[in-house]
Amino acid sequence: MMQCPSCARPSEPRLTCPQCGAPLGVELDLFAALGLPHKLVLDSRELERIYHETGRRIHPDRFASATPAVRQASLKSTALLTRAYRTLRDPVARGRYWLELMDEKLAENNQRVPADLAELVFEVQEQLGELRGARNGNANSLGAAMKARRAELEEIVNTTQEELERNFARWDSGAGERQDLVNELKSALSTIAYVRTLTRDVDRALDSATADIKTN
Amino acid sequence: MSRIFGIDLGTTNSLIAVMEGERPRILADPATGDPLLPSVVAITPQGEVFVGEQAIAMEPHLTVERDGRIHAIGFEGGEAGAVVRSVKRYMGLGGDEVAAEDRHRYSFADFSGPVVRFAVGKRTFTPSQISAEILRALKARAEAALGEKVERVVITVPAYFNDGQRQATKDAGRLAGLEVMRLVNEPTAASLAYGLNQLAEGRVAVFDLGGGTFDISILNIKGGIFEVLATNGDTHLGGDDFDRLLVDLLLADLPHQLRLDRHIWNSARLAAEAAKKELSDQDQARMKLALPDREVCKAVTRAEFERMADPLVGRSLKRCRMALTDAGLAPGEVDAVVLVGGSTRIPLVRRRVAELFGREPLCSLDPDHVVALGAAVQAGVLMGSQGDMLLLDVVPLSLGIETMGGVMERLIHRNTTIPTNVTEGFTTAVDNQTHVDIHVVQGERELAADCRSLARFKLGPIETQPAGLPRIQVSFLIDANGILNVTAHDVRTGREHSVDVKPSYGLTDDEIERMLEESIDLGEQDLEQRMLISARNDAAQLLGALSKQLDEYGSLIGAQERVQVQECAAKLEAARNGTDRAYISALVEELNQLSTPFAERIMDYAIGRALEKKSVEELS
Repeated sequence: MMQCPSCARPSEPRLTCPQCGAPLGVELDLFAALGLPHKLVLDSRELERIYHETGRRIHPDRFASATPAVRQASLKSTALLTRAYRTLRDPVARGRYWLELMDEKLAENNQRVPADLAELVFEVQEQLGELRGARNGNANSLGAAMKARRAELEEIVNTTQEELERNFARWDSGAGERQDLVNELKSALSTIAYVRTLTRDVDRALDSATADIKTN
Repeated sequence: MSRIFGIDLGTTNSLIAVMEGERPRILADPATGDPLLPSVVAITPQGEVFVGEQAIAMEPHLTVERDGRIHAIGFEGGEAGAVVRSVKRYMGLGGDEVAAEDRHRYSFADFSGPVVRFAVGKRTFTPSQISAEILRALKARAEAALGEKVERVVITVPAYFNDGQRQATKDAGRLAGLEVMRLVNEPTAASLAYGLNQLAEGRVAVFDLGGGTFDISILNIKGGIFEVLATNGDTHLGGDDFDRLLVDLLLADLPHQLRLDRHIWNSARLAAEAAKKELSDQDQARMKLALPDREVCKAVTRAEFERMADPLVGRSLKRCRMALTDAGLAPGEVDAVVLVGGSTRIPLVRRRVAELFGREPLCSLDPDHVVALGAAVQAGVLMGSQGDMLLLDVVPLSLGIETMGGVMERLIHRNTTIPTNVTEGFTTAVDNQTHVDIHVVQGERELAADCRSLARFKLGPIETQPAGLPRIQVSFLIDANGILNVTAHDVRTGREHSVDVKPSYGLTDDEIERMLEESIDLGEQDLEQRMLISARNDAAQLLGALSKQLDEYGSLIGAQERVQVQECAAKLEAARNGTDRAYISALVEELNQLSTPFAERIMDYAIGRALEKKSVEELS
């Protein structure tokens, strides 16, 4: 139980006061912040609607002339609402947050190469090495090959993400062995994190290669 | 309560505007009818201050006297008094951050302190103090035009301003005796002005090239919500830089020593600015500079100017592409492009922007007025008169902390919607450590040393414990103004920790307080007035809450207690519209004390009810 900083009436900890609608300024889990049940399948348009509608009511701009306590609560609740929206609208961030809620740790840094990607990763690393050491002459053709690789990596992220969302639905329906599902979620999230890091490396190498061509 | 005004505190010109009915209106100088106030401040050796056209007349320059001789007149800076223009370029900068080409323009006190200081006579002035003079002049202008007090304002800042530059702007407001209700990013403000009736829903790019700063913001407008998707910019790119190209051309044949002369330089700048404006309508312009021993003349064609200016425009376009990438959009996916800022009158700028986005940009609102108009609209939003309109802006630069090895760990990524917060756990590294030092930086580079230092925090004192045992949660919160607030608490004890903030640049609170005391213009009366308003607010809040509580939980208060509380409430009710601030505050305090036991009983009762409900649920 807490006291609403705006109307002083008692309330359960929620995003807004059930009596006067003002923000309460308490920390909540991100699903609760958006008034959602703990379900992994989310409709992004519905999410945006909730975010905009709630944001309109609790944003600090609505409380510009209120007391400092109310302004502070509005600030905290709006920051929480935004964090909830940004995290839950992205399936990968949502999955990671979900694991966190369940106290399941994802491997600290995703340095280990996912087994089924080992060959691809090896090839990409080799290509990256060539591109970094390339002179003007063949940088162009190497760059083109690298771009094709990049598309391949993006495709992997997309299919893994689809797989992730299928698992979200399975989890929500209560089907399947819980621990197996958790493991599958973890493996999908690790793969995505790993491939994303690799894609960033590729982008960086491509950027500096094109910059070199321009300056020379 | 007084109205909220919108202020565009520009590099070259400043404006003040207010909502009149449904539309924002710029408040012109009642004497001259000029809506623009040149952002130029003159300070005489005696400490007298002039702002605007009067200050421009005091700038060092060359003039031809009646006898035909050429004289150098105006305040040169230092002992002679100073005239500062484009002070916005110096806002929030440390002494060591002043660009080499800017150093000879003015007399600075030193280049080592955490704040740039202009030397005038025997005193020094920070950029915030000089900007405060511009704000005071705008306040006076609006008060003369409307006959009402200006106390609360919205001030616009470049979207790409960092934390220190924003803080310095807020400080300027405080020094001018204004309550800064909100800082708003200039391109976003412009989108609000256009959004009133000129723009359909969709994705909008606002290209804002002003006198000294450049911003690009990409927004999504939907159902009255103006949501910024990404922003980028350059706080040292604007009209001043275009002028400088022409100044360099005009002075190219002069010996180095003469080029640094402030009288010559300023006269050249005036000729350059005039030529630049001419080149927006004509194919050729002539710049003339009369020196005591000769006359310097340079003709420049538009094609030549465009060749020189192209790299500058290129810099702005590069920033546009970065913003588009961050927004996840291709240039063609933008539904409208809006031009803001005087420098978008340059035909080359318009052409290049149209090429990049593949569409003709909008410029139906005066590019010099649109930001101030938008600031007034945002002031309307804060007063609750703009219906459902709401602005969701972003933080322009990532914010992080320095970790082991000097690497920057990003806590809040650039283009995150604000307000936003993030919590980070800290502990000690050695046994019995009593303090933890945290270095907060802002920027996009990997190493903390390459980012801009924002502040250093000292957490503690921490109870002496073995290393790694203390657990302190630090919350980094960026408010709607884009300014960082830090709080900390001990996880085990739940106790709030004191955070000793040492800003790397800018003024400390103590310094601002001192400046406020020194400032003569801020009368005691203003301060008393604000304290009275705040006491009245407290009274209204307390009386409102109490009356609701008495209605709903009347059974929880004893008869005698009720009489006492109600008598005190009646006294406060009668006093709260009076002007005796001390009396109102005393009654608020008394009523608070009287009603605390009642409030505690309500809380106990509510907790009891909640527990009951839970146990019933568990049983069933």
